[in-house]
Amino acid sequence: MRRPPMLIQVQIHGQEKRFPIWVPLFLLLPLALLLLIILSPLILVAIIVLRLTGREGQLSPGVSTSLGILCSVRRIKAALDVLFSMPGLRVDVRNRNERIYVSII
Amino acid sequence: MAENQKKILEMLANKKISVDEAYRLLSALKAEGGAPASSAEAGTTGKPGPKYLRVSIQPGSGHEHDDDVDRVNVRVPLSLIRSGMKLTSLLPPEARDKVTGALHEKGIDFDMRNLKPEDLDEVIEALNDLEVDIASNKDVVKVFVEQ
Repeated sequence: MRRPPMLIQVQIHGQEKRFPIWVPLFLLLPLALLLLIILSPLILVAIIVLRLTGREGQLSPGVSTSLGILCSVRRIKAALDVLFSMPGLRVDVRNRNERIYVSII
Repeated sequence: MAENQKKILEMLANKKISVDEAYRLLSALKAEGGAPASSAEAGTTGKPGPKYLRVSIQPGSGHEHDDDVDRVNVRVPLSLIRSGMKLTSLLPPEARDKVTGALHEKGIDFDMRNLKPEDLDEVIEALNDLEVDIASNKDVVKVFVEQ
């Protein structure tokens, strides 16, 4: 069974500094969802205004893609699919003095 | 075993067809069956499919001090590759053109518009047999899939 990511573990070790952090996604994702629901009327208005004024093409590809994702069920499904596929991703790069470790659990 | 495969083997046993012809017919049958046949096969053997693509770069034997070199270990879930590739089909055309142009500039002649989900499943299935192992004095690079 697929589940959303629960935690992101990030460790950045330098020669003198250590920066370990655990990001509790299981707490942040519901908050992000709530924020999205609250902001969705504003996003909808912004999309309509941009389309009517013909300024949609002037947006950067990143913003344009984000708005596109938000206004299509198919795209929301695809974005959620990516999110739900993330548990298990692990990147570990290290040498004697430094280490960068990212793990999505 | 499928009925058609049995018939081909019977024809071979009765010397109605040659070994080459039987091989060609079986290959054609397998190609016709495609992914569903192979997944059914996987189901009967009970062998779970690969879950992760692993890339590992470790220091080779040529390094005097192992600590001086970088070590890389990356594990990417195959489902993430699959859904990420599907996401590319949802990119706006202008963003897709930019990506295609950037790839072309780097000498990679690849158009994302040609990527279809059915091709993708075939590629992921083919990863089952993938194992790249490059060993030199400097580095040992391994790319493989794991359960």
